[in-house]
Amino acid sequence: MSESKSSTEDLSVIARAPFHIYYEGRAHVVSAANNVGPFDILRDHADFFSILSPGEVLIENESDSIRFTIANGIISVRDNEVLLFVNM
Amino acid sequence: MRRASAIEEEAGQIETVKDLTGVFESIASTQVAKVKNKVELSKEFFQLLWKRYSALRIDPDTRITARDRSGEKVGKDNVFVIISAEAGLSGDIDQRLVNTMLEDYDPETTDVVVLGSHGASQLKQRDIPYVKFFQVPESDSYIDVSPVIDAVYPYSNISVYYEEYVSLGVQNIKTIDLITRIKDMSEDADEDVISEAETIFEPSIDYIADQMEMNMMTLALSQTILESSLAQSASRFNAMALAKDTAGNLLKDYKLEFHRAKRSESDRRMREILVSLKKKKRRNKGRGR
Repeated sequence: MSESKSSTEDLSVIARAPFHIYYEGRAHVVSAANNVGPFDILRDHADFFSILSPGEVLIENESDSIRFTIANGIISVRDNEVLLFVNM
Repeated sequence: MRRASAIEEEAGQIETVKDLTGVFESIASTQVAKVKNKVELSKEFFQLLWKRYSALRIDPDTRITARDRSGEKVGKDNVFVIISAEAGLSGDIDQRLVNTMLEDYDPETTDVVVLGSHGASQLKQRDIPYVKFFQVPESDSYIDVSPVIDAVYPYSNISVYYEEYVSLGVQNIKTIDLITRIKDMSEDADEDVISEAETIFEPSIDYIADQMEMNMMTLALSQTILESSLAQSASRFNAMALAKDTAGNLLKDYKLEFHRAKRSESDRRMREILVSLKKKKRRNKGRGR
């Protein structure tokens, strides 16, 4: 039951730096900030491409919250797939 | 023949050298494994970034090669970037690197930018001027190549000379054009075009594309630095393995020489005892008469 729920309500998230993998997997929400302000990405978010502001990124899945600090980054959201390129 | 105690002392020093080279060999081997992992991670990262970037432009090749350098032009068209080691102990690989670069070098049209103290000293020895020197940027989590990118960006042609890791036993010198490198690394990743009509861009599609191009150039250069570091570690491993073998062979020779000296010393003592015994016997015989 929980598996089917996660596959229909989750995002596929990859958060990487050139030499480090912060997160790869399913998640409910990705929170970060750009020059407009803080934002959250949930399932079915509009396709989105943005330069990230330095600060904290939060990724929440069913059981965990993953937080990490970034100096710079780019986020791309497309068809519920979120790619975060950070600390480049 | 030298005294056995002197040989023993020298053999002890060789033993220490052998132990030290063994330690350096292990460090180099660990370094190879660590850097290999970083190279793999970096390649995967680049692929993902390219996948998204290539979706922004139908023909991304044109955009990268058509960098706007107006107002930034320098005197010469070409720049050679050589990526060498920060220190010695890496065999002859840096000499080979500089020699390869010199085959293409024309001081009238080309400036040289050098990364690594070892390469800089190699150039000085050959009286080759360089316009900029940088220490090899290295960190476990981040390689900051932005000062290098800033230095080379105004040139029309950017050639990078670096050491390529083929295997633990083989390291080659490689030359690449940095822009070609970016295209090569992409391995033609395909992605549907992301248009402004369907996607929210913040701040703008052009700003994001510019940022991604700079990131990819940075990554391409970082990767050559990583590959160089991998080749240097492998070369260091080979140099240390060779030094360890040589020290081991020397030690065998020293041991042989030590045993010979020891035997010769005991033979000499034995002869001295026999001679003195004979003298004593003769003296005793003389008294008996």
